[in-house]
Amino acid sequence: MTAYRLPKDPYNIIITGVGGQGNVMASRVFSNMLVQKGFFVTIGETFGASQRGGSVMSHIRVSSKSTWSPQVPKGKADVVVTLEPIEAIRVLAGYGNPAVKVLTNTRAIYPAGVIAGRLSYPSLDEIKETLKKLSARAWFIDATDEAVKLGNAILGNIIMIGALSAVGDLPVGRGDFEAALSRTLPAEKMADNLTAFDLGVELMKQ
Amino acid sequence: MKVLMSGNEAIARGAYEDGVAFASAYPGTPSTEIIEAFSKYDGVYSEWAPNEKVALEVGIGAALAGARALVVMKHVGVNVAADPLFTVSYTGTEGGLVIISADDPSMHSSQNEQDNRNYARAAKIPMLEPSDSSEAKEYIKIAFRLSEEFDTPVFLRTTTRLAHSKSVVDLEEPKRHVGKREFRYDPSKYVMVPAKARERRIEVERRMERLREFAETFPQNRMEIRDTRVGIITAGMPYNYAKDVFPDYSYLKLGMVHPLPSGLIREFASQVKKIYVVEELDPIIEEQIRAMGIEVIGKEAFPYTGEFDPGIIEAGITGAKTEREVLLDRLLPQRPPNLCPGCPHRGLFYVLGKLKVFVTGDIGCYTLSFMKPLEGLHSCVCMGASVGMAHGMDKVLGEQGKVVGVLGDSTFIHSGITPLLNMAYNKSNAVIVICDNRTTAMTGMQEHPATGFTLQGEATKALDFVKLAQALGIENIQVIDPFDIKDTRRVIKEELSRKGPSLVISRAPCALLAVKQKMDRRAPLRVDPDKCIGCKACLGLGCPPISWQRFEDMDTQTEKKTKKQEGIARIDSTICNGCTLCQQLCGAGAIVEVTGDE
Repeated sequence: MTAYRLPKDPYNIIITGVGGQGNVMASRVFSNMLVQKGFFVTIGETFGASQRGGSVMSHIRVSSKSTWSPQVPKGKADVVVTLEPIEAIRVLAGYGNPAVKVLTNTRAIYPAGVIAGRLSYPSLDEIKETLKKLSARAWFIDATDEAVKLGNAILGNIIMIGALSAVGDLPVGRGDFEAALSRTLPAEKMADNLTAFDLGVELMKQ
Repeated sequence: MKVLMSGNEAIARGAYEDGVAFASAYPGTPSTEIIEAFSKYDGVYSEWAPNEKVALEVGIGAALAGARALVVMKHVGVNVAADPLFTVSYTGTEGGLVIISADDPSMHSSQNEQDNRNYARAAKIPMLEPSDSSEAKEYIKIAFRLSEEFDTPVFLRTTTRLAHSKSVVDLEEPKRHVGKREFRYDPSKYVMVPAKARERRIEVERRMERLREFAETFPQNRMEIRDTRVGIITAGMPYNYAKDVFPDYSYLKLGMVHPLPSGLIREFASQVKKIYVVEELDPIIEEQIRAMGIEVIGKEAFPYTGEFDPGIIEAGITGAKTEREVLLDRLLPQRPPNLCPGCPHRGLFYVLGKLKVFVTGDIGCYTLSFMKPLEGLHSCVCMGASVGMAHGMDKVLGEQGKVVGVLGDSTFIHSGITPLLNMAYNKSNAVIVICDNRTTAMTGMQEHPATGFTLQGEATKALDFVKLAQALGIENIQVIDPFDIKDTRRVIKEELSRKGPSLVISRAPCALLAVKQKMDRRAPLRVDPDKCIGCKACLGLGCPPISWQRFEDMDTQTEKKTKKQEGIARIDSTICNGCTLCQQLCGAGAIVEVTGDE
C-alpha cells in the first residue's frame, strides 16, 4: 500500500467534455497511473447516446483506504478537468465548492442549438470570469490549439492529463504516464503522447 | 493480479474464469462490452445474434447440450427474448444458463426505464445483483452454480452505472468446466406441450421454495449491524451510495434480489429501530417487505424515477435539500447528443425534413434527427416499430399521403424483416428506408449479419438487403448515397409518388467506422469569408463544426455582401470530416477545401 497521504480521502476528480472528445480514454489513462501507485480507484462513467456529441462526465475517486461509490456526491469535486469550456461551468454548478480547482481547455464545441442560432454561447471572457468565481483556482489551457500544432487534435486530452498531474495534489508524473500508456499503446505513438504530456505540464507553469 | 475493470469487463472475466465456453448477445447499451471482452479470451465461443430472442434460444440450445451458456442483453432486449424466457424457466437446462439483464435507470441510452427485477418475479427465475466490479466477477460464477444446482436459468442484473464504472478486481486462474456434452432425449422435461408443461409448472414452484430457503443462508445476503437506530435494506449500486453518506448505519445488503430471504429480513427488522428500503425504480423489495407486515420507509422518501446518487439518499433520509441547485446550469446552452460530423444519416434526414413527410423512426443514432434543425423523424418506440407503424398509418391515412419508415441496418435485421414482409403481404403503400451504415453504430461498431464478418472478424455470408426484399415481395427497391443530397431527394420523391410498398437503401459507412477502418479521409472544409453571403443554408444541417459568427462579435472586418447580411458561417476544420453536404447546399460557392498549408 502506498505511503502517500492524499490531501483528502477520497480525492474526487471529474473529467468532463463532449462525447467523442476522448473523455473515457483520458479517465482511464489517468486512473491507471493511480492504480499503479497502489491507490483504490473507482471510475464512474456512462456511455451510450451521449457519446454522440452530448455532455459527458467521468468521475474518478481516489482513496488509499477503500473503493468508493462511482458517483462523486454533489458539491464534492476536488478538481475538475474539462475538455470543453462551458462543460466546466455545467459541472461546477453541480459538483463545485469554494475549494475546487478547475483546468479548462479553451476550445469551444458548439451545441446544436447554438449552431442553429437558437441559443447563444457565452464568450470566452465570460466563461473565464464565471469559472474564476466558482473555483479556488482556475487554469486555462489552449490544449486543442497546441495539439493541432503537434499534428493531432485528439492529443489535447493528453495535454490536459499532463496539466492535471502538474496540479500537485496527487503523486503521479511522467514516469507513471509512460508506464500506464506502454501497456496499451504501440511504441511509435509513445513519443507524440509524451511530448503532449510534457507540454501540459509546461503550460501549467505559465 | 489487481486490475481496473468495468462491471462489464468483470462479468466477462468471471465467466471465463468459471469455464463458461459459450456466449450469445445482441449489442445494447449498457451491456455491449461484456461479449466484446469475453470473445477475446482463449478457448471460448461467442457470437452476435440478430436479436435477443435468437440469442436466448441459441443459449438454451447450448446449455441443453451441456455447455455453460451466457446470454447478454439490455433491459428492453429481455422484452424481445421474453417468449423463450418464460418457458425455459419450466424446462431448465443441463449446463448452466445465465442471462444478463442490463437495466438503464435514468435512460442514459434507452427509450424506457423498465425495472427488470419484475421479469425475475414474473418468470420465476432467481436474480442476483452485484454492487461493483469485484462482486460482478464473483456473482457471475455464483449464478452458474445456482443454475446447475437448482436446474433453472438465472438472471444477473446490472445497471448502467455498474456496467460502465470501473473498480479494482483481483484476477484468478480460469477453471475448466467438465460438463458432459451430448444429446439429451427427455421429452417430459424439454417438450413443453400442455400435459408436460403442467408437470413442470409444479416443479417451478417447488424450485422457488427451495431457492427461498437457500436465500436465507446465502452469504451474499449480508447483515452489517452497527448503529441500530437506522437500518437500510438495499442491493446493487445504491448500496455504495448509501454507504458513502451513512457509513455507520446498519445494513442488510441483498446479493440476491429474487427470491427474498424473509427470515433474514425479519431478523434484521428485529435488530434495528427504523428501516429504509433504498432501491432505484420500482418498489419491488419494499412492497414484498410490507406484505410481510414489516413497516419500512421507501418510495415516500426516494424517487421512483431515475438513477440515485449519494445526495438523493442523504436527502431522502435527513430531509436535507440537495445543495447547489444553481440556476447557472439552466443559463448555459443545453448540449443534447448530435449526429457526428460526416454522419451519413444527416443528408438523408435533411431531405426528409425538407420534404415535410411524416417519418416513423426507430432505435439508433438516427433517432437524434428528430431535433432541430433537421426535424426529420417523428416517432420512436422500439426496434422495428418504424416499419409496422408506417404500414399501420398508411392503412388509416390512405390518400392523405405516404408515410416513410426509417431504421438502421442492424435494427432492420433485429426486428424489421417480419414487418416488411407484412407490408408486401398486406399491400402497403409506405416507403421504408434502411439507413445502411454497414455497422451497429450506436453501440460502438459491432458486426451484424449484413456486414460480412462475425464477432471475431472472420469473413462470413453477408445478407443482401435487395435480394431479401425481393424475396419478401417488395418490387420498388432503390439504393442511394445519402451524401448526394440532390439524388437522395430525387429518389425519395420518386418512391413517394409510386404505388405499392417501396424500400430505399441509403448506403454509406458510419463516419466512426470509416475512421476505425482507416478508410481514405476527405479533406476538411472551410468557409471563405469573402464569399459567404450569410444565408445560413449550411446551418440547417446542424453539423457540429459549423457555427454562426455575427459581424458585431468579429475582430476582423468582413465585407457585407448584402444589406441585410448579419454575419458569416464558420467551419471548425479540426472536427470537419469533409463530407461536402454543406458545400452542396452553399449557393455562393463559399465552402472550400482546406489545402495543405492552412
